[in-house]
Amino acid sequence: MVDLEKLKNVAKETVSREDVKYLVGWRQGTYGFRVSPHFMTKPEDADKLIFSPLCVNNLATYLTLAEKLPVPRGEEPDTRKVALMVKGCDSRAVVQQLIEKGIERDSVYVIGCPCQGVLDLEKVEEKFPGVQSPVDVQWGDDKFIINLPDGTQEVPREELLAQKCLNCRYPNPVISDVMLWEEVEAWGNGEYADVKELEAMDSQERWTFWQEKFASCIRCYACRNACPMCYCEDCVLDRLNPQWVFRSNNISENTVFHLARAFHLAGRCIECGECERVCPMGLPLMSLNRKLAKEVREKYAFEPGLDPESKPFQSSYRPDDQEDFIL
Amino acid sequence: MNNKPKIGVYVCHCGINIAKAVDVEAVAEFASRLPNVKVARNYAYMCSDPGQLLIREDIKNEGLNRVVVASCSPRMHEMTFRKTLAEAGLNPYYLEMANIREHCSWVHEDREKATEKAKRLVFSAVAKARLLEPLYENEVDVEPATLIIGGGIAGIQAALDIADAGFKVYLVEKTPSVGGRMSQLDKTFPTLDCSACILTPKMVDVASHPNIDLMTYSEVEEISGYVGNFDVKVRKKARYVDVDKCTGCGICAQECRLAGRIPSEFDAGIGKRGAIYLPFPQAVPAKYTIDPERCLMLTRGKCGKGPKCEAACAAGAINFEQKDEIVEVKVGTVIVATGFDVFDAAKKPEYGYSDYENVITALEMERLVSASGPTGGNIVLGKGEDAFVPKEVAFISCVGSRDKSVGNEYCSRVCCMYTAKLAHLVKEKLPEANVRVYYMDVRAFGKGFEEFYDRVRREGVRYVRGNPSEIFKRGDKLVIKAEDTLRSTPIEDEVDLVVLAVGLEPRKDTRQIIDLLRLSQSADRFYLEAHPKLAPVNTATDGVFLAGCAQGPKDIPDTVAQAKGAASSALVLLSSGKVKIGAQISFVNESTCRGCGYCVEICPYSAVELVSVNRMGNMVQVARVNEALCKGCGACSAGCLSGSIQQRSFMDRQILPQIAVLGGVR
Repeated sequence: MVDLEKLKNVAKETVSREDVKYLVGWRQGTYGFRVSPHFMTKPEDADKLIFSPLCVNNLATYLTLAEKLPVPRGEEPDTRKVALMVKGCDSRAVVQQLIEKGIERDSVYVIGCPCQGVLDLEKVEEKFPGVQSPVDVQWGDDKFIINLPDGTQEVPREELLAQKCLNCRYPNPVISDVMLWEEVEAWGNGEYADVKELEAMDSQERWTFWQEKFASCIRCYACRNACPMCYCEDCVLDRLNPQWVFRSNNISENTVFHLARAFHLAGRCIECGECERVCPMGLPLMSLNRKLAKEVREKYAFEPGLDPESKPFQSSYRPDDQEDFIL
Repeated sequence: MNNKPKIGVYVCHCGINIAKAVDVEAVAEFASRLPNVKVARNYAYMCSDPGQLLIREDIKNEGLNRVVVASCSPRMHEMTFRKTLAEAGLNPYYLEMANIREHCSWVHEDREKATEKAKRLVFSAVAKARLLEPLYENEVDVEPATLIIGGGIAGIQAALDIADAGFKVYLVEKTPSVGGRMSQLDKTFPTLDCSACILTPKMVDVASHPNIDLMTYSEVEEISGYVGNFDVKVRKKARYVDVDKCTGCGICAQECRLAGRIPSEFDAGIGKRGAIYLPFPQAVPAKYTIDPERCLMLTRGKCGKGPKCEAACAAGAINFEQKDEIVEVKVGTVIVATGFDVFDAAKKPEYGYSDYENVITALEMERLVSASGPTGGNIVLGKGEDAFVPKEVAFISCVGSRDKSVGNEYCSRVCCMYTAKLAHLVKEKLPEANVRVYYMDVRAFGKGFEEFYDRVRREGVRYVRGNPSEIFKRGDKLVIKAEDTLRSTPIEDEVDLVVLAVGLEPRKDTRQIIDLLRLSQSADRFYLEAHPKLAPVNTATDGVFLAGCAQGPKDIPDTVAQAKGAASSALVLLSSGKVKIGAQISFVNESTCRGCGYCVEICPYSAVELVSVNRMGNMVQVARVNEALCKGCGACSAGCLSGSIQQRSFMDRQILPQIAVLGGVR
């Protein structure tokens, strides 16, 4: 199970390597249940690393977020690897970035952390409101062990598990250079119960549902920025000529923004749930993404982010692909 | 240069094609008030000389720098009007067409609404015309050679025409000999020429022509490139016989341990051959081939105490070590003449083809009546002591044609006539025999066909209108159960021999050729021509042409005519030596491209590749378009997430205003 000693040793070893630039992991945050990404360049920073049910964030975003700085003439670009701690879902983002040539395999060193499911921070805040000092949380058998300042509490796993983890089929990293501990058994069956609920609505009902949601969007773009698959140099939705989406914050433009983003993620979204987690307005964005993921899986038997050698979904046409939805 | 748009709008009546449903004057009047429109006119036929003159005069006198023609589909007249612009000194790509015929007048009846729609379409074209940019066409050289796939009569004829015109031809045939289906036929309708007699001289010609490189027993493995410059890889399959040494004496075939034990493809399975064989006596080249799937030496590694063919061959031509050879050739054009397969009669179980020996297909009948066939042209059924001459012979037409239940809705076009011909041959060889033909309709549409059909009936062949429902055995006889639909009476007809007039089907390897050449299929699964009437030998891939039954069922004269058409189309390119490369192609904005390579994978023409570029000292991958390969299909730009790959004349910023206007946003 989670072996923090091993994690720290591996981290120290890794950042000491000549070909590694830095390591991205998790560390305890300043308040309550929050954790922060930990950028580690020196072995002595390893002590701060953690791996616990609090490590919700998908750090794969930092692989493509890192800016390639201009290289002064006469100097060589820094091509050292970035070491990255990944859960199962995070690792699929890495694979998908590899498939899309967003990163190269030898530019990343993947530290695999088999995961038993992380917390839904909103549920935690609700259950334990206003905790100021940092809290340590551990996995127990079918429960979370929460070490609050005023004593330890145990909460059944189902009660606090993040939505994305309820039905997880890939708790173990699908790609890694080193695996920190033993793999865990997957528990999800890949059903799309949430999507089916929306599908069961009639189109008017569904339209009303989404219009209400989109009306509350403040277009902060947090969903886009947290998404490990949104990393174009220059996003089409930002562009002025042609201007696909106007900047005004209204239902029409918000709808276009979210639908365009969902379609751009069709066959690419690895369902890490970051967009929905970071949304300050609580939009159920994963329902959009999962609807398209369901279509892609059912119609084309395709799942993104599993095999770095596979072709991207958009270009994996087969003559026997179902086309019954095309008139 | 002042490039402020000055647009001329020309609304065509197309006689009454458009004017009937659309108030063209109102459309022109509306257009004249649109932003940047200098003149708007309507005219009976814009594509006519006076119509074009109108445009040219306005360009000169009014200083127009953009032209919108509201008429038919750009597929019809875009080229016409581009030329008009060019003649008036304007870049031809300053033309935008609004399709108010196919998209409007032909599909609407309400004149008021159709007029409104036409206005909207014209407005949308004007919105785009303002944003058009001049484009320039490039020219590439055409490699003076043609690849012909398929060595049947279509391929042979096309090869001879092109070679006679002085260009190199690579004729690739899958089987060991050229000749194709025609060589299997006995006589040809309606003139009754001997098929082999008229074909073999041509077969010999292709083999000896100095401009033809004949590659038999070979298959095209890979084709890359584009019109004028195709790179072709041909796999010359190992014959296990050195063709330079083989004299064609045939002793090896007599000695083969399997001689007479393998069904001969050429004899449609009713004759037998050995593992080393010449498909038929007149085969070209007259070189023997070892069947690697049957030969004991090649399948099991040993053949008795040693291969007898090798021992018998005085020339020492047999070589079991021979390997497939890949030959690379460069050609400017390609002709696909891959022919057809006959319908598998087993798919109509009610006719008992799989169950009864004396139910045979017409192709088997051809071999049975052929002098070069296994019986020497004698119509004899059964073997040895059981052999007998049939007295009651029935033909059943439309087997696997005009039959939705087997997925072939089309008419195979040859069966009626070959049935008449075979019936005639039976009558000629067995005057005592009673011959009847069960038919749905008799389609005798060609030159001399009706006369021949009439002649066959006068010879005593009985035509019964009705499709048999079942064939079963009663004693030694086959019983045909049918209804004579002209007399509305049920029939039970006892016969000795049933010949199924099987239809023509696309070849089973159609898909492979499609993948090789990026062709399309029509609903009947044959290759799709570029236009059913005006470009029947062209395909959607420039420089690739169709000939013969690969495109659809045909008789020999039609096949030869189409082969000549394909040859002449290929020759147009070969003899001009240059071909224009489209200007409306894709290009990449390298500063926003993130090198994901989706476009590379999506491009059906392999026209996009990833290249490394230096971006502020960092090497990054970006997409780049090979302009000669790009066909301007736009698939890449549709697939690009960051909108970095765009197609000229169809850029997002040109199309969006067009869509906005259509949607009512100004």
